[in-house]
Amino acid sequence: MLDKYILADILDKALEKGGDFAEIYIEEKYVSNVFCEDDKIEKINSGREKGAGIRVIRDGKTNYVYTNDLTREGLMQAARTANHTTGIQVKAAARNINLTLKEAKTSLNFMRLPEQVDFAEKIEQVMAADQVARDMDAEIRQVTIAVGDMHKKVQIANSAGDLVEDEMARVRLVVNTIASRAGQIQTGYEVAGGVSGWELLNQVSLTEMARQAAGRAIAMLSARPAPVGRMSVVMHSDAGGTMIHEACGHGLEADLVQKGLSVYQDKMGKQVSVEEVSVIDDATLTGKYGSYRWDDEGSPGKRTVLIDKGFLRGFLYDRLTASKDGVESFGNGRRESYQEKPIPRMSNTFIAPGQDDPAEIIGDTCNGLLVKKMGGGQVNTTNGDFVFDVQEAYIIENGEVKYPVRGATLIGNGPQALMDIDRVGKDLGFGIGVCGKDGQGVAVGDAQPTIRIKELTVGGTFSGKGPEIRRISRK
Amino acid sequence: MEETLRKAGEMTLDLVRKHGLEGEVFLLHDRELSIELSGGQIETLKEAEQMGMGLRVFNSGRMGFAYSSDLSAQALEQVFSDAVSISAYTAADKFNCFPEGGLTYPVLQTYNKSIAAAALQDKIDMAMEVERAARSFDGRVKLVERAGYEDSDFSTLVINSRGLYAFGRGSYCGLNISLAASEGNETQNGFAFTIKKEIDSLEPRAVGEEAAMKAVRSLHGRTIPSAPMPCVMEPYVVTRFMSMLASSVEADAVQKGKSMLAGKVGQQIASRHITLIDDATHSDGIASFPFDGEGVPSQRNVIIENGELQGFLYDTYTGLKAGLKSSGNGIRGSFRSLPGVGPTNFILSPGTVSPASLVADIENGLYITDVMGMHTANPISGDFSVGAAGIMIEQGQMTYPVRGITVAGNLLNLLQDIEAVGSDLRFYGGKAAPTIRLQSISIGGH
Repeated sequence: MLDKYILADILDKALEKGGDFAEIYIEEKYVSNVFCEDDKIEKINSGREKGAGIRVIRDGKTNYVYTNDLTREGLMQAARTANHTTGIQVKAAARNINLTLKEAKTSLNFMRLPEQVDFAEKIEQVMAADQVARDMDAEIRQVTIAVGDMHKKVQIANSAGDLVEDEMARVRLVVNTIASRAGQIQTGYEVAGGVSGWELLNQVSLTEMARQAAGRAIAMLSARPAPVGRMSVVMHSDAGGTMIHEACGHGLEADLVQKGLSVYQDKMGKQVSVEEVSVIDDATLTGKYGSYRWDDEGSPGKRTVLIDKGFLRGFLYDRLTASKDGVESFGNGRRESYQEKPIPRMSNTFIAPGQDDPAEIIGDTCNGLLVKKMGGGQVNTTNGDFVFDVQEAYIIENGEVKYPVRGATLIGNGPQALMDIDRVGKDLGFGIGVCGKDGQGVAVGDAQPTIRIKELTVGGTFSGKGPEIRRISRK
Repeated sequence: MEETLRKAGEMTLDLVRKHGLEGEVFLLHDRELSIELSGGQIETLKEAEQMGMGLRVFNSGRMGFAYSSDLSAQALEQVFSDAVSISAYTAADKFNCFPEGGLTYPVLQTYNKSIAAAALQDKIDMAMEVERAARSFDGRVKLVERAGYEDSDFSTLVINSRGLYAFGRGSYCGLNISLAASEGNETQNGFAFTIKKEIDSLEPRAVGEEAAMKAVRSLHGRTIPSAPMPCVMEPYVVTRFMSMLASSVEADAVQKGKSMLAGKVGQQIASRHITLIDDATHSDGIASFPFDGEGVPSQRNVIIENGELQGFLYDTYTGLKAGLKSSGNGIRGSFRSLPGVGPTNFILSPGTVSPASLVADIENGLYITDVMGMHTANPISGDFSVGAAGIMIEQGQMTYPVRGITVAGNLLNLLQDIEAVGSDLRFYGGKAAPTIRLQSISIGGH
């Protein structure tokens, strides 16, 4: 990591021709991936990356430069490039930036960092899980398991005098199974992860994930085709919070709001959901996949109430969008790496638990669909229309879970769905994902209690209505 | 730049040889510029420079791979030790092999000085011109979400322990826009992009107008009754279907039983109008380069000729496994990834009929302008059911916009049903297609 006086010089250089704000983000990262297919370790990758991104903001416009050259000269050159300006150039007075290291509220507690865990151990876990999935049933035809980890150190300094030094480790486990019977193919998927070292494996069992993924693929072989039409949908807490992330969260990101691309742009303070629903974004949860101590521009991660008992109370701000609205950053400025500028992103987003017993919610449902596992989705933030694939679903008849169905998609509108939630359970189930926006992927968590949506369209393969200006993908 | 990359590469290969292993280094240096406008103003100006190396080692047939963006001596030693330690754990495979050296590379014009020579302000002006052209094309263009310019200048070096040495430099530039047109309470989006090898070939006005035209022509679309009907597909839509086809002609998919074309070489899998080529030496192709990610010389590969499947695309590994040679399709996204089989310039050869004449004798049909949800198609069976939008064709005339429909079928049947191919070849990145006409396709409406 660089000396703070060198960082201050670089920031001074970046502002030499004027500008409102300058920042340098330095990252040093180790990543590794182990991939198993066809019963063997097919690939192992590891990478080490070092780079810096320098940003200069002037009248709301961003100049962004990145480089792998972390020498003083290399960074000075990058700073000179970043103060490229096409407007009137003024020789600005030296800022004499005095950097002060900001203290984190919580201490780091990574026990087993990715580069310190031997591949032999990672492979042993993977192969054991592969065996468990294959032993489940002869109908399991393929099992792929991927485990990935990351450890990075970052240093962020800006012309406001902030200096932040942080470290982060994340582990992600993915199991994919394919089952086939008489030409029919079904898949089962499990994913888990957290901000953690390999001690995560003390809490999450890869073999248990393999068992569940294989079990689901097999169960879905006997599933009937999903019904098509409008019906009550109970979304089990096991389904995670994909829906709230996609169908509501993105519309609350301040950049989309400010550009007129959000359905929530004129809704601050207004009722946007039933009163049983509160939506929260919380980067401070311990160990969740979307958690962080500092965001990627050095603001502390926060807990933000977005929707409070039905009323819209907050948008997700980074530093730039916050300054446009005259507020403080909410600590939601995130970036994929030193190669990208930060933009407003979610951390861990969830619907807060309510009062109802989850079993009663199902018991009180006359006819409907119980969603246990979500697949991928697509949302149009301009009007809130969404489409989600469902991985695991069951038919509810007279309050009883009857039989599994496959091929269901949920088609609806985010704002409408939030008004149509009529039951909110007291449980809370988490999911993880890599959320893509403007070509940048960041790790997110999401969660929800068991909820019931009075009516939603089930079936079809696409919504076919409204513009699809911005597609936000999820993998 | 070649010298900096070569030094780092040779130093690493020395370590590989010293340890009695086989190895390959892939080095990349890349400079990028992107200008993004929002509301007619520069929102982000990004200038990037990166460098890095990916190292593959074969240790008794076991592969190890590691990369680094740091090319210092110490970092290179670390990469080497990472790759070697990995190679202790992966499964041995007798087809893990590097291509031999002493190869001859095609001479291609892949680098063009005009891009770097152009002034930044001229590039900004071009992006602004895209946006202006879109807005002035039609008053209903109300929101330009993003308009931009980008360019890239990259150098690639591959060296392996079997004496292979390949260096090349390339560049390209492009313009893009995405916008929305509104009328009443309806909004429709439109986008357009272009990528060229020479900056003078960029046509900002055409890009802006195309996006505006796409959005405006979709306004007030309505659904139609379900029925099979003849259809004409715009080149862009054809390239979307070609992406699905591409995954079936990659040898790794074929060898893993994930391709609908496995075992069909020599068979008539498409109508006689179809000739499909992958050509990394094409003069207009943005993916043209003298060699692939393993240093294998680029060549023109005929995949389908007059409807008959000729063969698949191979990298060194899958080529060897099939008892053939690499077709020069070991593609690498960056130094961060392993090479894998993939298309380069993937081209559906144009025919001789004008696109207008393809529509002229259709009594009742659909001109398809967009498909959505292509990723849900099944690449093994070829079955697809995707959302679509288009324009109704009645008595040879384009009449009203259509949306809220699905088109469904099987890719292999679709290929057989192509009854005419237009003369209008159009590139979208590395994929190129003309307008085509299908005898019939199943439309799902109301």
